[in-house]
Amino acid sequence: MQIPNLFLKSAKKCGYDVKLMQTSGISHLYIESNKILSLQGNPGLIIKTKRLSQGVAIKILVKKNVKIKKPVFLCFGILNPKGKQIILPEIILEKNSELKILAHCTFPQATKVIHKMKAKIELKKASKLFYTETHYHGENFGAEVVPNFKILLRQNTYLENKFILKQGSIGKLKINLEAILEKNSFAEIDSQIIGKGREDDVSIFDKLLLEGENSHSLIKLKGAAINGGKILFKGETRASKLAKNSRGHIDCQEIIIGKNSFAQSIPIISVENPEARITHEASIGKVNQKQLETLMARGLSEKQAISFIVRGVVK
Amino acid sequence: MKILEVKNLSVEARADKKTILKNISFEIEEKSIFVLIGPNGSGKSTLAYTLIGIPRFKITSGKIFFLGKEISKLPIYKRARMGLALGFQEPAYFKGISVENFLKACSKNSQQKEIEKALDLVGLEPKKFLKRKMDQQLSSGERKRIELASVIVMKPKLMILDEPDSGLDIIIYKELYDILDNIRQATNASILLITHREEIGFLADQAGFLNKGELVYKGKFDDVMIRYCQSVGRRKRCRKLKVKKT
Repeated sequence: MQIPNLFLKSAKKCGYDVKLMQTSGISHLYIESNKILSLQGNPGLIIKTKRLSQGVAIKILVKKNVKIKKPVFLCFGILNPKGKQIILPEIILEKNSELKILAHCTFPQATKVIHKMKAKIELKKASKLFYTETHYHGENFGAEVVPNFKILLRQNTYLENKFILKQGSIGKLKINLEAILEKNSFAEIDSQIIGKGREDDVSIFDKLLLEGENSHSLIKLKGAAINGGKILFKGETRASKLAKNSRGHIDCQEIIIGKNSFAQSIPIISVENPEARITHEASIGKVNQKQLETLMARGLSEKQAISFIVRGVVK
Repeated sequence: MKILEVKNLSVEARADKKTILKNISFEIEEKSIFVLIGPNGSGKSTLAYTLIGIPRFKITSGKIFFLGKEISKLPIYKRARMGLALGFQEPAYFKGISVENFLKACSKNSQQKEIEKALDLVGLEPKKFLKRKMDQQLSSGERKRIELASVIVMKPKLMILDEPDSGLDIIIYKELYDILDNIRQATNASILLITHREEIGFLADQAGFLNKGELVYKGKFDDVMIRYCQSVGRRKRCRKLKVKKT
């Protein structure tokens, strides 16, 4: 298996176990621009790819009743400073299956990189998906990243979806996620973003549609807009007429630091079934002075203390 | 050897320019405990904040020397790095941060074992507390103990402990006395202890009584306590202390 060093370095920066990533037999798919560097499926887990002119179409399928115990690593990136990549994944978990995906997108030298992703995910009856996606966009504010997710959760399914971008610069990031939840399904959508400079411009829109009885959802949007960074969070949860006894919650928390930074949180909730309940909470504020003084009294400089506090909020 | 020397220190609040401390002078010897007592609003916490360098307070005259070096103009974190540590009276909570990560942030060079030992010293079982979050789910007593542990892991030369006993149940005083005694023996640090409690104050080598921003009396703890009780009108307590002394 050949993984570019820059991929490994960036995955390590984002907290991944790079030794495990390189272990033989571990399921994975590594793509640089539109080149498939390495692919490994496993019994019960099918990974297929089709090379496109500027990217790759991917199909990942977990067969009925198969529970993949070890995580599947997906790594997509562009190593050149300039380039465009389009990734079109389709992930299907068949009935009663289970999968954990650790995805990493990296553009470590980006000065003018465009990465677009259109993902379709379907969780069939009683399946479970744990999906974590970390990003590293280098330090030059030169990436434009547009991931788009359409997710369908059939009856009795479970989804944990995490998006994390806390290292390096961001550039432009626009995420759109829409999920439909059927009866007895659960979805937790968690985003953690730190925008560190005035060229960082983030917009995240998570929309969950509770369409079935006893469906439950949680949207967590945590961010820090620092030194001119701009972050817009929009979380929407709707409970339809069919969503009897469904529950949903949206939690938006942002911290704002420095001149010209901008943070906005828009929770939207709507309910059509009188026995459903959706709640939300949102807060935007500056760094807590008491926390700052406590850490500085422990020997941390102001910059170190702020970084520590931000890491706590964006978690 | 003197670890801290405060000379003719006067301090005002930056917000309203109100004078809070007037012409304070005292010294703390190496490996000793200095207990500072005084009624509410006398300026005890302001003195602690000024010594550590919290910028809400401005020194209008006088100087502070730590380990023989003038530190009056040094920023808070540089004083901390020299070995001057403050345990806050009402410690901050940190949502999303574990006790372990907080203690690691407070101690640049401490090993895991030392972090666990610090928790042990303040009476918290490391296994139970390292992974706990530093949020409101900790009781105020637990948070206070973690504050003490965070000071210990800094391995300071001087610990300023601002009312570590406030808000604690009376039964805990004896335990707190033992904790402070343990800290003294285990760390070799000097301690400036701000407290109202005689039960803890008896640890003192020296004591001072602060009233209305002035250090009105310095000396042995018993004598300072008598002055304090006279001043705040606790006559019975004052008589008891006098009898005990004779």
